[in-house]
Amino acid sequence: MRAKGLLVSLVLLCSSAVFAQNGGELRFCLRSDPKTFNPLLVNDDASETVRYLTAGFLLRVNRLTQQPEPELATSWKVLDGGKSIRLKLRPDVRYSDGTPFSAADVAYTMQQLLDPSVHSATSDAFRSGEGKLVTRVLSPTSIELTFPAPVANLISLFDGVPIISSASPQKEMAALGPFFVAEHKAGAFVLLKRNPNYWKKDVQGRQLPYLDSIRLDVEQNPDIEAMRYQRGEIDLINTVSPAIYEKLSSVNASFVRDAGPSTDAEEMWFNQVPSAPIPAYKKQWFTSAAFRRAVSAAINREDVARLVFRGHAVPAIGNVPQSNKFWFNASLRPDAYDAAGALRRLQSDGFRLENQQLRDKSGNPVEFSIVTNAGNRSREQMATMIQQDLKKIGINVNVVTLDFNSLLERMTQTFNYEACLLGTVNGDLDPSSQMTMWLSSGEDHIWNPKEKTPATPWEAEIDKQMRIQASTLDLHKRKAAWDQVQKIALEQAPVIYLVNKDSLVAISPQVKNAQPSPFRPQAYWNIESLMLARR
Amino acid sequence: MLRSLSLALLRFVVLVLVAGLAGATLVRVAPGFSSDEQELTPGLSSESIQAIRQARLADGNVPRFYLHYLNGLLHGNLGRSQSLNQPVRDLLRDRLPVSLRSLGFALLLAWSFGLALAVGAFRVKSRWLVMAADSSGGALISTPAAVLALVFLMMRWPPVLAVGLLIFPKIYRYTRNLIEECLEMPHIVVARAKGVGPWRLLSWHVVPIAIPQLIALVGVSISMGLGALLPVEVFCDLHGIGQLAWTAAQSRDLPLLVNLTLVVSCLTIGAIMCCDELRRVVGRAAA
Amino acid sequence: MKILHKIALAVLLSTALASVFARYIAPAGYEQQFRDEAQAGPSLQHPLGTDELGRDRFARLVYGMRVSLFLAPLAALLSTILAAAVGGVAGFCGGWVERIVMGATDLFLALPWLFLLITVRAVLPLNLSPMTSVIITFALLGVLGWAPAARVICAGAKQVLQSDFVWGARARGCGGLRLIRVHLLPSLRPALAAQFFLSIPVFIIAEANLGALGLGVSEPLPSLGGLVCELQDLVMLRPEPWRLAPLVVLIVVIGAFQVLLSKQEVHA
Repeated sequence: MRAKGLLVSLVLLCSSAVFAQNGGELRFCLRSDPKTFNPLLVNDDASETVRYLTAGFLLRVNRLTQQPEPELATSWKVLDGGKSIRLKLRPDVRYSDGTPFSAADVAYTMQQLLDPSVHSATSDAFRSGEGKLVTRVLSPTSIELTFPAPVANLISLFDGVPIISSASPQKEMAALGPFFVAEHKAGAFVLLKRNPNYWKKDVQGRQLPYLDSIRLDVEQNPDIEAMRYQRGEIDLINTVSPAIYEKLSSVNASFVRDAGPSTDAEEMWFNQVPSAPIPAYKKQWFTSAAFRRAVSAAINREDVARLVFRGHAVPAIGNVPQSNKFWFNASLRPDAYDAAGALRRLQSDGFRLENQQLRDKSGNPVEFSIVTNAGNRSREQMATMIQQDLKKIGINVNVVTLDFNSLLERMTQTFNYEACLLGTVNGDLDPSSQMTMWLSSGEDHIWNPKEKTPATPWEAEIDKQMRIQASTLDLHKRKAAWDQVQKIALEQAPVIYLVNKDSLVAISPQVKNAQPSPFRPQAYWNIESLMLARR
Repeated sequence: MLRSLSLALLRFVVLVLVAGLAGATLVRVAPGFSSDEQELTPGLSSESIQAIRQARLADGNVPRFYLHYLNGLLHGNLGRSQSLNQPVRDLLRDRLPVSLRSLGFALLLAWSFGLALAVGAFRVKSRWLVMAADSSGGALISTPAAVLALVFLMMRWPPVLAVGLLIFPKIYRYTRNLIEECLEMPHIVVARAKGVGPWRLLSWHVVPIAIPQLIALVGVSISMGLGALLPVEVFCDLHGIGQLAWTAAQSRDLPLLVNLTLVVSCLTIGAIMCCDELRRVVGRAAA
Repeated sequence: MKILHKIALAVLLSTALASVFARYIAPAGYEQQFRDEAQAGPSLQHPLGTDELGRDRFARLVYGMRVSLFLAPLAALLSTILAAAVGGVAGFCGGWVERIVMGATDLFLALPWLFLLITVRAVLPLNLSPMTSVIITFALLGVLGWAPAARVICAGAKQVLQSDFVWGARARGCGGLRLIRVHLLPSLRPALAAQFFLSIPVFIIAEANLGALGLGVSEPLPSLGGLVCELQDLVMLRPEPWRLAPLVVLIVVIGAFQVLLSKQEVHA
């Protein structure tokens, strides 16, 4: 019986290979027009998509194994405790316009990337200290880069460095990746064509990519995108909402795939900024760990995952999702839903429940507002569920939705809010990408940004552990420090993590070799291997 | 004649310029002007965030920005969109014709339907026709633009039809009320009693009374049409100025928003002034 | 048509009664979440089923009607009065007053008011009660919704003032307020009635759209506009006909208003 099953599987596998073919045009959508085609200046999702499909990188982090793999660099060696790196480059590689690729391009790219006028997370991560980058071209296929100070997570950072040509007349439009930009009609579409000089071949020695072209239509409305997918007008949707996932799944189960929990988290936090224009008694609540832990325990995360995300999410434990295999602190457990326990914790902190209304020591009724961005249905629903959950322990919550820029101004400049519900998108698995959030002096230290000195002992301890993990190359030491940060974050709950969403993608059965990953870009991370079945 | 035309032109230019300045001030004063979503990129340094904010505040001084903008406008430079990183002139060149076509078609549809049903209700005197027209008007005006537009999209009908149907109830309701009111006027009651036929009644008695208000309605229907076009363009991904305005509003894109305010003012104020002039001409002719 | 008027009156009365006595009619509180019965179809317990969070749709509808159907007509009345005042004054005075007032009206029509609304939200406290928030929203809609009608009314006023019967009245010594009350206002009634009638559904839906700016009804309080706007995902995602109930209610109520308004016009 098992042999019969194996035979059927083999036949199916062969038939898919037979019917799949080289060539064809893959079509999917961008949410907006790309703001730039210069890969070094990318700061929006649409431009990032084009960059991923067209740019060449020294190495790439495999989205399934989460390990760096050679691309334009065949090998590398980190020197001077993370201050320098020597890279050996792939020979005989050419840009889409025929210009040869060499170490001079890597030097040029790094100089451009670290130009003071360029503001991106990757360039900021490389700017490890005062001073300049020194590039030493050892040969056309070998280069050494020396940074002013050691750079944490140096290797993985190159996953975000697209190599541009120093000599091509097409400048940054000359592509080293599998495709190049052939046509762009603003607001309508971007057409990418196969790079004839792409260096990669498959195991049988066939030139990659298999596809002839990719058409990226600009489509802002996800509902219309889903409708077009259902009609067969596009071949994939990189991220679908749980509601659209269910709809497509009900039409044809093979239309959609759940790639498992992603690194994206939904979270809420209380405003702990001392100068915030909110009453002093509320600041007292928000700076109390007992209050924050009680609120965390009173939120039913299982229900949030089940109702808001239709089961396509898991309760979050902390700042590192379980899907981040290496860096997650496996000894941590999520705050279990326990309304009675939450109330006990609050009572031990001086709060009391009177006529279904919680009051603090001074008799002030416990009431606060949660702001979130308008137009995000799942966040509005989460806020409503939290409102209902907290009502059970006598806390009144007002839900306020604001347009994103207004919300951002309150969060980062006026600090005129009480609690905020938002999500984080974490593309980088390494803790160094979270430095600005966890360092008390960081801009992204959302509950109290840019502290001159750590406001609490536990924030001082987090600062210490973050610096330890950033200053060593020893993975075990880094992991131990990061584990400690995760533990403190859970105990102190400056940010209450709610759920980690699953990566939901829609890939047409016509698209072969797709292996959706929980990490960005989920559906097309292996774009050069994707094939289209005969239509 | 020339003097009144010059005065009208001057009034038009002043109003449009004031609209541009007032629009720029509203955008500047609204919260979130100095914020950029980019600030939330994980790992961005303090210096980078400050640089992003400073770039946003480069146009923070409204009078200076506006003077600079007007100077550019005189030289054919409409500035550069901050959110789309493209010259505003290119964006308007691509998208304005799309919206104008949609608007023209929608207004034509709305006025044809609205007038036909209002006149039909008067002419046919069928209770059922009136009820059907009233109910369809009521149903359309009660349906959110987005829902109607999505239904049209699902049915593979042009979403611009939805814009026409969204304006139609307003035209119909105003026109029908006007006709009904006219019919109650003493001299029209007398004319009816004398057996004047319905078409003659309409063309000789009702139209001369109703025409000034109808012409005024034509002028404001441009503004209504633009109001209905915006949500339809946004929800149906039509690449017109409505969609552009929404993108610009979300990211407080001052150069783009000022240009769009000027375009909208030119359209609405221009249409209204033309209609005013037409009304005067009709009034003189009637006198 | 008498029967139709009676039906319209009955519809409005029953809607008003249902809204006032929502607590006794609704099978549950509008905010109560039956989390194990989320997205359920109609049943005896939940006549219109439940929403994504398990809230009873029927309860949300009757409570939503209470908010929208009381406040929207008030806002419509406010915008109609403003339109009558601005348009009437401009038409009545004529000359430079008309030019200035109508110039301001034209400007009003062209400005991006979205940003004013965003600014208003910024100056309001975050801990506004849902009811205060919705009252402010409808008041704003009333204040901002007069301009198109003012133009039509100004044109109407000028037309009336040039008519023979007004000249006659003036010759007989009738002037000022009496002229406005006896001749001008009755003649402008069709345009004013249209403005009032059209504003009601427009404001109900606009209130829901202003939720995107932090105005309007905030959770968990429902509004009819909010429930109608939820139909967007019905169109795209789930063909559940019972979810059309809020739209049907809105259309029926608007129809009833229409019938009653035309009756008043006829009898006035």
